[in-house]
Amino acid sequence: MSGPVLCVTLAGRSAAIDAAAVHSVVELGALTPVPRAPAHILGLAALRSRTLTVIDSRAALGLAAAPGPLPAGQQAVITDIDGHAYALLVDDVAGVSDLAGEPEPIIGRAGPGWERVARGAGDTAFGPALLIDLPALVAGLPAMAA
Amino acid sequence: MDDLLADFVAETRDMMQAMAGELVAWERTPDDRESLDTIFRFVHTVKGNCGFFDFPRLERLSHAAETALADVRSGNRTVDVRLVDAVLAIIDRIGELTDAIEGGSDLDRGDDEHLIAALEDGAGALRDMAPLLAAETIGTSAPAPTAPQRSIRLPLDLIDRVMSDVSDLVLARNELARTLRLGAPDTGDGTLERLSAIIDSLRDGVTRMRMQRIDTLFGALPRLVRDLAADLGKEVLVDCEGGDVELDRELIEMLRDPLTHIIRNAVDHGIEPPHQRIAAGKHEEGVLKLHARQADNRIHLEITDDGRGIDGERLVAKAVEAGLCTAAEGAAYDRRERQQLIFHPGLSTAAAVTAVSGRGVGMDVVRANIERIGGAIKVCSEPGQGTRFTLALPLTLSIVPSLTVCSGGQMFAIPRGVVEEIVHAGNAALDFARMGDALLANVRGRRMGCLSLADVLGLSAAQAAENAPLVLIRLAGGDLFALAVDRVLDHEDLVIKPVAPAIMQLGLYAGATLLDSGEPVMMLDMASIARTHAMLRDHADRTATAPAADRVQGHRPRTAGLTVLVYTSLAGRRRAIRMDRVMRIERVARTDADCGGARPQIAIDGAILPLAGCETGIAPGDRPLTILRLAADNPAAGEIALAIDAIEDTALLEGPVLPPLGSGQPLLGSAMIGGALCELVDCDALFAAHRPALIGAAR
Repeated sequence: MSGPVLCVTLAGRSAAIDAAAVHSVVELGALTPVPRAPAHILGLAALRSRTLTVIDSRAALGLAAAPGPLPAGQQAVITDIDGHAYALLVDDVAGVSDLAGEPEPIIGRAGPGWERVARGAGDTAFGPALLIDLPALVAGLPAMAA
Repeated sequence: MDDLLADFVAETRDMMQAMAGELVAWERTPDDRESLDTIFRFVHTVKGNCGFFDFPRLERLSHAAETALADVRSGNRTVDVRLVDAVLAIIDRIGELTDAIEGGSDLDRGDDEHLIAALEDGAGALRDMAPLLAAETIGTSAPAPTAPQRSIRLPLDLIDRVMSDVSDLVLARNELARTLRLGAPDTGDGTLERLSAIIDSLRDGVTRMRMQRIDTLFGALPRLVRDLAADLGKEVLVDCEGGDVELDRELIEMLRDPLTHIIRNAVDHGIEPPHQRIAAGKHEEGVLKLHARQADNRIHLEITDDGRGIDGERLVAKAVEAGLCTAAEGAAYDRRERQQLIFHPGLSTAAAVTAVSGRGVGMDVVRANIERIGGAIKVCSEPGQGTRFTLALPLTLSIVPSLTVCSGGQMFAIPRGVVEEIVHAGNAALDFARMGDALLANVRGRRMGCLSLADVLGLSAAQAAENAPLVLIRLAGGDLFALAVDRVLDHEDLVIKPVAPAIMQLGLYAGATLLDSGEPVMMLDMASIARTHAMLRDHADRTATAPAADRVQGHRPRTAGLTVLVYTSLAGRRRAIRMDRVMRIERVARTDADCGGARPQIAIDGAILPLAGCETGIAPGDRPLTILRLAADNPAAGEIALAIDAIEDTALLEGPVLPPLGSGQPLLGSAMIGGALCELVDCDALFAAHRPALIGAAR
């Protein structure tokens, strides 16, 4: 991952997302649930005339989802994967930073969910963060584990 | 690639596509001056265009073909098979080189000498040189799979129209902006109306830009069939009709593979070799007919061959062999069911695997592909007479007329094409029955499986399915089932877009759309839902699921014995008829029946059938008449219609049948069914009485 990264708080942890893959950061409005969808797909939301698939990052990491309806002003990172637009729920967006040096392997056990979606660790202007592989996060848990 | 080169490639492709049919026509009738001229013009144009570029191979090839064809035109040379083959080979090579040019490959390597030499008068036949040609590479790096066409040609007036709509749109916007600035919103209505009219017109224009004549699909077929037939030692004439029907470009691309597959099958398995055809009393040349027509917002495409038809017996044997059904079940399938086996994965009746087809991968994929684009495919075959595939396709992929419904507090859309009827709760003609966990709805004598949409989606329904409005869904294959929803909302034209793969994989949704309010709504995939919930008659899905739901749709239970349909005759008698003779159950207006004359008749679907069962006359009324369409043992004997009052149920015939009491009625006797006496109808006697001429002719 070269170039700037978007630093966010994801499920309570610092994470960095390749800024080139990020379309925008928006506040989500109303959500349409999709019955029978995997747990990490919260539903669909509309952004202008596009349909977004809303990904609950906590559930995608195998963590317990935040209970209750989405808080007003819930922030989401919009990204395009294979022609489909996804909105990833994030707790907070810190800002855009350059990565200091090359990504490094993660030291210690990050937890299975994090290890599945992280491509390493790196230093940003906002502190150390896990580098998130977006397609892996969007794919959610492997079917076997779910 | 510079623009000039792109134009050259596009023009060459266009010409080749337009010419493919001419080549075959020319081979068939070498005297046909018009076809010859078209081909000559093509090679001449290619040669001329090569002058702008440095393509010595193309130039030599086209020059050689031009010279040979010029000789034919001037009468110095007669056309023979060798010449046609040689010219075809050269044109194919020109096509390959054009692809290579587009792919930016190096053209310098490679050798076309054999092709050019084959053009010489008195040269050896090209077919004998096949090994040589195989060794000869076209000299380009691996040809990339041809990408779908990325540029199109459009009529100028269409673009002008769209541009003028855009200008109007700008004017309307300015006017609207002015109105808003003045703060007098009540005057904005007229402008808004004009704006939507312009957008409609624009949408129509852009839709037409996406349309393509189905000719572009048909164009390549004569050549495909010619080459296939030549490989297989068969003679096949292709007859295309309705090439001017227009279809969405994307659809045409998605149809290409399935159609090619059907045609390959028809030529390979359907049409017999000439000697067999002559022995069967047919013309030695087989005929493959393609017929496209538009009806409402669907395109119907028929592919008919006059070959040997589908061998239902062998399909059943294969299915038994593959463990898809037991021998007893297989024996119980009727003709239609047997033929439908062709769409089952892994079944092929080809005795041997050939290069052309016969690996048993195919028709199931064809059906899946057609269904994916919202179409339907049916097969109908007469052994010894031929096979017809009927494809019904939507006009365009993007805008779907839909019905919106509410279930579990959420809105969903159903394509209107599959909605047959909406039945409101509490309708007197509606009742329900439970078979195990399966729910059956009986709507005016028609029994069908009933699903609760809330159950399917894991939501909680506002009321039990028995008290809910039902949407009757008629799937493309003819299967009917009822879907209970909380509320039926509205009809809307929706723009359906695909959603994330993780959602599509659920097999519940066909896509999503945004309503006027900006709220996303899921479009339900009814075919897939029906499949996973065993609402289909298709035996393949039946084997894995409870039989209760589909049994009522005219299916015999999987037990040995004769299944009968129990009904009440117009005269009020309780009767039963062999289920396998009942092709369809229809409801028609009473006025369509004519039982005044010596020979009662009825009009169904534009056909006139002899009508039985109305000896006591038909009481007038608004209630539609229930008709059983019956087929004779011998399919050539056609159909007759049997008018009845109401269908009771299907039942298994057990116990003795008592002989009839000489009533002069077409009865086999009486039996106990469901604890009560029931008269058993003699189908053959019915046919003998109502289609005597046809029976005689068929025997």
